[in-house]
Amino acid sequence: MNNMQREKGKHSEGMKLVASLTSKRARSSFVKEVMKMRGGENILDCIQCGLCAGSCPTRFAMDYSPMQIIKMVHLGMKEKVLSSSTIWVCSTCYTCYTRCPRAINLTSLMMSLRNRAIQENFVVKTGVKPKFHKSFFEIVNKYGRLHEPELLTRILKKSDLGSLFHNAALGWRLWRKGKLQIRAPKIEQSSDLSHILEKTSEEGS
Amino acid sequence: MKYAFYPGCAVHSSSKEYGDSCKAVSKVLDIELVEIPDWNCCGAIDAIYSYKPLYSVALDARNLSLAERMKMDVVTLCSACYYTLSRTNQLLRDDSGLKNRVEEALSSAGLNYNGDVKVRHFLEVLLSDVSLEKIGEKVKIPLTTLNVASYYGCFLVRPPDLTNFDDPEHPTRLDELVETLGASKVEYYGKIRCCGASLAMTDEEVMLELSKSILLNAKNAGANCMITACPLCHFNLDAKQKDIESKFDLKIDLPILHFTQLIGLAFGIEPKELGLHRNCVSPKKILPQYAGSVA
Repeated sequence: MNNMQREKGKHSEGMKLVASLTSKRARSSFVKEVMKMRGGENILDCIQCGLCAGSCPTRFAMDYSPMQIIKMVHLGMKEKVLSSSTIWVCSTCYTCYTRCPRAINLTSLMMSLRNRAIQENFVVKTGVKPKFHKSFFEIVNKYGRLHEPELLTRILKKSDLGSLFHNAALGWRLWRKGKLQIRAPKIEQSSDLSHILEKTSEEGS
Repeated sequence: MKYAFYPGCAVHSSSKEYGDSCKAVSKVLDIELVEIPDWNCCGAIDAIYSYKPLYSVALDARNLSLAERMKMDVVTLCSACYYTLSRTNQLLRDDSGLKNRVEEALSSAGLNYNGDVKVRHFLEVLLSDVSLEKIGEKVKIPLTTLNVASYYGCFLVRPPDLTNFDDPEHPTRLDELVETLGASKVEYYGKIRCCGASLAMTDEEVMLELSKSILLNAKNAGANCMITACPLCHFNLDAKQKDIESKFDLKIDLPILHFTQLIGLAFGIEPKELGLHRNCVSPKKILPQYAGSVA
């Protein structure tokens, strides 16, 4: 494919994607993998009607639309799917699933794809998402409940002064209203969670 | 009427006034909410689930297990907790392999869950177990000056197989409540559009964009206030409204009330008891009679 073609926009972009496909065997194995995931069971039922893409409130911030992600799964494009921004920008609002005429639980699938991307260390274009999930888990596992200030300080980029200032202002606003929880909450039987973690640890990650 | 109360993390921290107004309203309606002792975080939609799905379900099953001992329905104020707890029930019902593993994890902590707990949203309890008629009877001060945009958000109505509470595309039950309280409902586009709560910490720009559209649509449709039924939606639309205004160079100034605060006002409960001084966007201009006691 030459440079001229590449610059033609959507169609040539699509061709590029198809060209990047791996072997036929790898393709079919990714579809099978996805069909075993929660939300991916009936992914072959998709008729590419686009209702999910048209309904998605965060489509504007995604690199591929939800409908495209499904087609890319059909085509076995594992790398592209698991490194897309789409799976992270999905706000899990369930509008696509509610409207899907083929009852594909795409919202649930997005969560499963995130999990797979974390497990297989795919690079995330939109930054902090895997860190957010990991930190959220660690904080809840430690205290039994969420401690928002700790979560925020863990995922904030210390070099981004604008963001630090902006969040400090929000913190001040909340503090004045008595809505900022400084001390971490802790449940009494936090040892329950250690037991649960131990028994569920073989799930990977 | 007695229920096992699951407040969720937000109601204990950034949304205290939601819990306070819920308690005040419950007292008037003879509803007793008994907090589930030693409850833990539900896992917050996909926050833990995307990282450790099995752990996330087992963590949440601990809450249901603690509630099961109380032999009451679980009631929550948070739509995200409502969804997450309901999903845990659904997953345990539909996936026997998962259920076995969760049972094993629970028993290692000396717990057990049979799957018999019903999870409900406080709004649904008010509408089904109390009824609009009985709520109407308690109204002392009809809120005739308020034009209220009801914001349903996501998890009160979606996914419909889990919530089964209202029409997922055109919900009306909050609007019916608004009219029962003597206020006017405002129809606007966006009452079921996502506010971006799950992106608030990671993709704030996207969240601000989503919440901006909701606020502007409601305001342009003539609303002088908005109500929510979820502490996360409330946080984005209220506490972050200032950030939306500065990012997009706009003046919105739309007070956002928890639906329990609106009911409380109509019941004649003092604004302080409803925590109205904690709302970030001041409701002073819509409640001139209480100018001294709201923020």
